[in-house]
Amino acid sequence: MMKSMLPALLVVLLVSGGGVNAEPVVVVNAASAVRQLSKDEVVNIFLGRYRRLPNGETAIPIDQPESSALRSDFYRKLVNKDLNEINAYWARLIFSGRTSPPVQAASAAEVTTLLVGSVSSVAYLDRSQADNRFRIVLEFPP
Amino acid sequence: MTKQVWTLRDPLRLRGLLLRSALTVIVASLLAGIVAVAYTAQGTSQRAHRASETRLNELLDTVESTLAVACFAKDQTLAGELAQGLLSNSDVLSVRITSEQEVLADMGRGPAGGPQPATLLNRPIYSPFDRQKQVGHIQLSPDPLVIDAWIREEVWFTAIQLSWQLGMVTFAVVVIMLLFIVRPIKAMSDRLHGMNPAAGERLAIPKTHAHTEIGQLVIDINALSDSLVSALATEHQLRIQGEVDEKKYHTIFDNAESGLFLIDRHGVLSSWNPAFARLFDIHQMPVNGNLSLLNVRQLPWQNPDRVIELVQNALHQNRAVTQDLQVQLQSSQRSWVNMVLRSVDNNLLQGVVHDVSHLKESEASARQLAITDPLTGVANRQGLEARLHDHVQDYAASKSGGFALLLINLDDFRRINEGMGLPVGDSILQTTSKRLSACLKSDDTLARLAADNFGIILNHITDGEVLERIISRIMQEIRQTCFVDGSPINLRASMGVTLFPSDGFDVPQLLRQTELAMDSAKTAGGDNHVFFDPKLTEAAEYRRHLESDLRSAILHHEFVLFYQPVIDLRAQRLVGAEALIRWRHPTRGLISPDHFIPLAEKTGMIVDIGLFVVDAACQQLLAWNKQGLAYTLSLNVSGRQIPDGLSPAKLLAVVQHYGIAPGQLALEITEGVMLRDIEQSLQWLKSVHAMGFRVYLDDFGTGYSSLSYLKLFPLTTLKVDKSFVQDMQDGNNEHTLVGAIIAMGKSLGLEIVAEGVELKSHAAALERMGCHYAQGHYFSQPVPEEEFCAVAARLTALLAQPTV
Repeated sequence: MMKSMLPALLVVLLVSGGGVNAEPVVVVNAASAVRQLSKDEVVNIFLGRYRRLPNGETAIPIDQPESSALRSDFYRKLVNKDLNEINAYWARLIFSGRTSPPVQAASAAEVTTLLVGSVSSVAYLDRSQADNRFRIVLEFPP
Repeated sequence: MTKQVWTLRDPLRLRGLLLRSALTVIVASLLAGIVAVAYTAQGTSQRAHRASETRLNELLDTVESTLAVACFAKDQTLAGELAQGLLSNSDVLSVRITSEQEVLADMGRGPAGGPQPATLLNRPIYSPFDRQKQVGHIQLSPDPLVIDAWIREEVWFTAIQLSWQLGMVTFAVVVIMLLFIVRPIKAMSDRLHGMNPAAGERLAIPKTHAHTEIGQLVIDINALSDSLVSALATEHQLRIQGEVDEKKYHTIFDNAESGLFLIDRHGVLSSWNPAFARLFDIHQMPVNGNLSLLNVRQLPWQNPDRVIELVQNALHQNRAVTQDLQVQLQSSQRSWVNMVLRSVDNNLLQGVVHDVSHLKESEASARQLAITDPLTGVANRQGLEARLHDHVQDYAASKSGGFALLLINLDDFRRINEGMGLPVGDSILQTTSKRLSACLKSDDTLARLAADNFGIILNHITDGEVLERIISRIMQEIRQTCFVDGSPINLRASMGVTLFPSDGFDVPQLLRQTELAMDSAKTAGGDNHVFFDPKLTEAAEYRRHLESDLRSAILHHEFVLFYQPVIDLRAQRLVGAEALIRWRHPTRGLISPDHFIPLAEKTGMIVDIGLFVVDAACQQLLAWNKQGLAYTLSLNVSGRQIPDGLSPAKLLAVVQHYGIAPGQLALEITEGVMLRDIEQSLQWLKSVHAMGFRVYLDDFGTGYSSLSYLKLFPLTTLKVDKSFVQDMQDGNNEHTLVGAIIAMGKSLGLEIVAEGVELKSHAAALERMGCHYAQGHYFSQPVPEEEFCAVAARLTALLAQPTV
């Protein structure tokens, strides 16, 4: 029993260790005119208050998959809430239909795909994934 | 009757007390209730609003997180749902939710124009992700109707509670009042109605009230009754005493001999006694028919103004004022009354009046007597002085007029009085006074000053001629023979005259000067008049000084004896001397006896001086005797020294004291001495002669030179007066006269001394005439004792020369 539990524990540790190492940064398509976003602007875009970029263009936020450690890290750093709280928030709003949660990517790869495909998209990636196809518009302090 | 009324009104009065206290309690409670309800309403309203606010806040708290989400996401649907939920609470009247720019929800209940809510509950809504950031706000208004209903309920409850308490308290007060106050007071009141305090009845203390205020009230009422009863008794006693006193004062008032009256400040009489009415004959006076308005001014005063003045004085001075006032009454002799007035209060004066007519009459007669001479009926000295003062004052006021003052003294009046008796003297004075009076005008004054001294003031006399005429008339009147009991008497008078104002301005001085002039007339022999001369004053002054100096001279032994040698012409030798007195005045030097002996005689000081002379002479004789010189000394004796001033016994005592033989002492007297009182003088002369003293008659030839006296008196020696001797020349009258005197003296067996020998020829002539002794300047001046030895030696030498 002890033996069977140990690998699972290790996975968790790895994942979480990977989470610790993960450093979310907010990025846009490198072709986008947006150079930088404030934290408030990022909050408004991701939590559905305003879906516009500073240049007036519609912004399309993209969330990492539900289970992604990056996702919970991102919201923790952005508004200091855990994912349950974020979900509860969206649960109150979804009903009225006035606004909607960000686009849900099925995987991390899909996020990059969606980003590359649209200059309006805004997403978050681990710093390691942010290559020259993307532009970092907001970094969280360590 | 009164008692009945009291009983009828009694319950009402008591009920009144009860009703009043109950009403007071109700009104006071109502007021307190209203205040309490108002306060409660106020408090309840505040609490209701606070509670409503609290509930709404709590309501908001439950939906706050959802509200934050709605506002953050600007979700109107969500906001509308929340507002709907809030409105389901009955307290909420309306809800309004706004995001930053837009209204998310605005809903309300009831009609739109309903009552405006009193308060609004505002709450800001913050972002669910950032507590610092406001994303909207909610406004809730509570429903006022709900709150009001709640307040009304609270107030109503309080009011009901208070009413209930009020009813209880009022009931309790009424019961307590009735039991503890109204009932005992009613009992006391009932008892008081039937009580007779004068008979000693008193209230009893109600049961159970022994230590309450009611009990104390009963004690106080009883004490008050006691003091009232005692005050009534005292008052009664006083009233009886007052009646007795009033009766007494009435008796005094009615029976007083003095007039008593009361007047007001204007002089209107308000009351007077019978004596007052009698004094002024009030019942007979016509007072315009109205006796009650009689004014004191209207009484028959001689001078009503003085009465008014007296009334004013009494009003202004707070003391009794008095004055003698003259009245005029036809029906009586009364002429003077004395009035005393005193103000008894501001408007009332009390007065006393009595008849002082008799007093005034006796005063007047006494005044008249004081200035009248009772014997002659003319003025006396005081009267004259008073008139003089009046005249002087008149002159001082008008600076015109003037008068002559005459003083008249009858010559030799004393002799008439002594010789013929006082009644004759009085009769003469009366006659003289009549005669003088006949010479005077009506405004002149005649007075008898003393004894036979009369004074006359001739008023308005300034003309010397007129004055002389009047004076000579007066003198003539006096000289007329007057008959007393049939015997004729011839009177003469000496008169002094002064004139005012030329001789003096001061009355005493004027009188003194007139007296001096009169004395001067008298000294000049009488039967004449002398006008005052300032020299008379000087002389009088001189005499006054001399007199005091003389007294001091006797005290301080300022007298000395000078000696003039007497020569025996037959034996041609010195046999003695005449002792002559000199006065060594400390400032004026040597003074001769002519200047002071007359004054010494007049004042009697001659007696002391005479004794000194005898003593000094005896001392000198003793000194000579001791030197073996048997001189004789003669000394002058004045008439004033005879018989007692230098009595024979005194003389003898002195010579015996010094051991001198009386024969060595000669006493020189003048004829005048013998004329004074022959009997006494003769007695004295005989005594001293019998004792062995020698007696010289001095100044022979100048006076009477009566031969019968020469025979009558026991004399040893005659002194020929120097006036004959010093003028003696061969063959002239004096020569003959001296010879005759010497011859006559010798024939009577007397020794002769010649005085005033000034020349050698005198001495020779006298010697030839057979004169025994001589003295005079030819031989020697009178010299003091210390020079006498030298003079004696010189004389011895002179006499040794052969006579021519």
